[in-house]
Amino acid sequence: MSDQLPSEMDIQPVKRSIWRNLSPLWAVPLLSLVLALGLAWQSFSDRGVLIEILFEEASGVTAGETLIKYRDVTIGEVERVDFTDDLTNVVVYARVSKAVVPFLDDDATFWVVEPEVSARGISGLSTVLSGVYIQGAWDDQAGVAKTTFEGANEAPSVLPNYKGTRITLRATDGQIVSAGAPIFYRGLEVGRLGTPRLTSTGDAILIDAYIDAPHDKLLNSATRFWDTSGFSVSFGTGGLALNVESIATILSGGIAFDSIFENGGSISTSAVFDIYNEEAEARRSIFVGRVQNGVAVSVAFGESVSGLTPGAPVQFGGIDVGEVSEIRAQVNDDNPDQAITLLASLNLDPLRLGLPNDASAEETIEFLRVSVENGLRARLATSGIFSSSLIVELSMLEDVAPASLIVRGDDEPLIPSVLSNIPDFTATAEGMIERINSLPIEELLDQAIKTMASIEDLAADPDLRTVAPATRTLLEDTSALINSPDLQAIPTDLRATISDLRTITEELRASDVSGTLTRALTAAETTANNLSTASENVPALIEDLRTLTAKANSLDAEALITQATTFLASADAVINTDGARALPKSLTDALDEVRLAVAELRGGGAVDNLNAALNSAQAAAESIDVAAEDFRVTMADLPRLSEQLKGVLATAERVIASYGNRSDFSDETIKALRDVSDAARAVEALSRQLERDPSSLLLGR
Amino acid sequence: MENAGKPTPVLTARAAGLVGCSRCGRVHEQGVASCARCGSTLQSRDTLALQKVWAWWLAGLIAYIPANIYPMLRMIQFGRPHESSIMGGVIDLAQHGDLWVAFVVFFASIIIPIGKFVAIAYLAWSVKKGVQTRDIGRLHMYEVVEFIGRWSMIDVFVVAILTALLQMDFIVTVSPGIAAFSFTVSVVCTMISAQSFDPRTIWDAHERDA
Repeated sequence: MSDQLPSEMDIQPVKRSIWRNLSPLWAVPLLSLVLALGLAWQSFSDRGVLIEILFEEASGVTAGETLIKYRDVTIGEVERVDFTDDLTNVVVYARVSKAVVPFLDDDATFWVVEPEVSARGISGLSTVLSGVYIQGAWDDQAGVAKTTFEGANEAPSVLPNYKGTRITLRATDGQIVSAGAPIFYRGLEVGRLGTPRLTSTGDAILIDAYIDAPHDKLLNSATRFWDTSGFSVSFGTGGLALNVESIATILSGGIAFDSIFENGGSISTSAVFDIYNEEAEARRSIFVGRVQNGVAVSVAFGESVSGLTPGAPVQFGGIDVGEVSEIRAQVNDDNPDQAITLLASLNLDPLRLGLPNDASAEETIEFLRVSVENGLRARLATSGIFSSSLIVELSMLEDVAPASLIVRGDDEPLIPSVLSNIPDFTATAEGMIERINSLPIEELLDQAIKTMASIEDLAADPDLRTVAPATRTLLEDTSALINSPDLQAIPTDLRATISDLRTITEELRASDVSGTLTRALTAAETTANNLSTASENVPALIEDLRTLTAKANSLDAEALITQATTFLASADAVINTDGARALPKSLTDALDEVRLAVAELRGGGAVDNLNAALNSAQAAAESIDVAAEDFRVTMADLPRLSEQLKGVLATAERVIASYGNRSDFSDETIKALRDVSDAARAVEALSRQLERDPSSLLLGR
Repeated sequence: MENAGKPTPVLTARAAGLVGCSRCGRVHEQGVASCARCGSTLQSRDTLALQKVWAWWLAGLIAYIPANIYPMLRMIQFGRPHESSIMGGVIDLAQHGDLWVAFVVFFASIIIPIGKFVAIAYLAWSVKKGVQTRDIGRLHMYEVVEFIGRWSMIDVFVVAILTALLQMDFIVTVSPGIAAFSFTVSVVCTMISAQSFDPRTIWDAHERDA
């Protein structure tokens, strides 16, 4: 027993392995550890890349809340908002998904999306409740990844992966358009405008324009752009025309384009197009262009140049060859009589003068010198009958005092001028128009037509047609009767004749002549009846003719001129009424108001929150309201004025039309007169016939 | 040792050669493998109990770390996402002036779990070391820990209820964060840890001593 015990103790293992006593439950904390580490690893690996975006101001951007989105899908979150060291910019630190990081290269832009109320609608409304977010845009080409970006103040006009064509438009008035305004092609929106900017010299506005693919195919060298925004009022011989575009384009401005001639050449990417004020002007622009290598000359006018403005065309034989670039007064030492001359600088286009396009200034001046010696003179002319604006007209005059092109040093060569015949012309034209206006042409024609109608009626009267043959038969019968030997003794006195005839009749009754006489008398009676029916129309005809003659007589009478003067005076009065004068001004005012409203709208684009957005919308609405009120008032006046003007114009148009087609008119008149004289001749013949013997016979009845 | 307040040694079941069924309470003689009444395994002392306690405790502690780091709740209100971790939520509530609510959350989510970790660790450590003092106190501590364990889930319940109720699309949407899951794991582990603890070992120290 005692032997065994120690040995048993010896074989007892000291201790089971520590792992044997280990509970399998230790797997649980291990599992837990793995889980925790896994979570940590996952969140670490999911952690995006920190980028920095510099904004001038970051309204509403909140660390930990503001999201970074690309194509409206969240790709990250703002982590921290800070300032640059010099406090000039806000630095937004954001973590963005690793997937997009390779694409964040130079072309990546970021901007803060805020609720915005503009003329084109409300955008970013969801951000009113959810807060602003930062939108990013970049192309689909992975480049050299950056981590620091300059944030844009507003959404770019086009995204970096834009498909379309970018061109540059040039305008003189930056107010007609605003950034993002639509570009239309035949009324279809095919593009947008970028932000207008001034050229370095400040003499024009350049606007980037983006024409979306595939519509950019429509662009070529024949393309012209024009402004479609707002209203346009035109007042001419065609009457008063008021064009109102859609409200959206009125508010935000708009540009339309079209190709104005066929087979335009392709354009380069740096193409610059001008924006014309209206479509008609754009379409006319095929004939006018910018003077490329213009030659400056000047003209001294010895008369008032009121109405001549810089930009007015210079025409040669009705073709634009240049434009007036400047008008100034100059003290003239050479001519003591005329101490001050009015000098207009002209910019002439050699190409339009018929010279080669690359003609040098010297060649052009030489050409002008020769032309001046051959009688080329400059003079002022009106640009239209109703227009008081002047143009400079170059014309070859036959009988002018010889003169030459004066070239003095570096000054612009001076083209001699002749006095314009504008005042004379105006007076003459006015006088002519007055005379033409005062012609009672309508009445005359009416009268003539009435006369024609009467004569026609008379002539067409079958009774009248039968008069002549019937009368002739009667005459023959009567002459046969008279010439019959038995009747030779019948006295010429009618009563006697009748009594004789009666006697003869009685005698003849007994004889064989009786039957013949009865027939003759019956025929005579019929004729007389017919004639009496016909002659009922004759007095009217004669009356008409008399009136016609009276009218015709009064053609050159003073009364006509008085009448014309009265008409012109009344037309003048209508045109001079304050209403008519105020019309364009009222419209301009209304347009200005609308423009103002538009400007306010454009200015109030960036809205911080809904309140501000709605306030600015309200302000804009009020401005529009005010503008609309003005416009409404103007419009209320408009129909009346338009009516008056229409009346005036209708008259004027008729006058002009008759004046313009004077040949037609005289043809008609001559024809009418010829008809009248024909009618008169017919009447004369008739009366002559009536005056012959049978007339005594008839009168005797 | 020479402590005057030392309770008089009592006759334990183990000393009497008996073993009680831990499930139904029926007393068997030692050596009986399973309960004659309910069939559960009879064990006078669970030898691996402390290891189980420590294992679950450690698992609970590890899970408690992400539960505090990661957001508990992800709320999207009017499109604005807002995530709050436990401590962040407490600070937010306190800053909003809801001190009482902040205290309740802080108590239920920070104090109680940490207290549980400390208490379980202390119990396990004291049993291992054979500390003989304050048996009653440690027993109470154990009972409190075991009782309060289920109430730690109050956070998880709140998250679960909010997630179920507040699904109003754009206005407000609540979804549980990673921390909610971690916190659940942590609470479950500490509960199992507390239950794995065999309170009978508290007074075994005296027996050993005796």
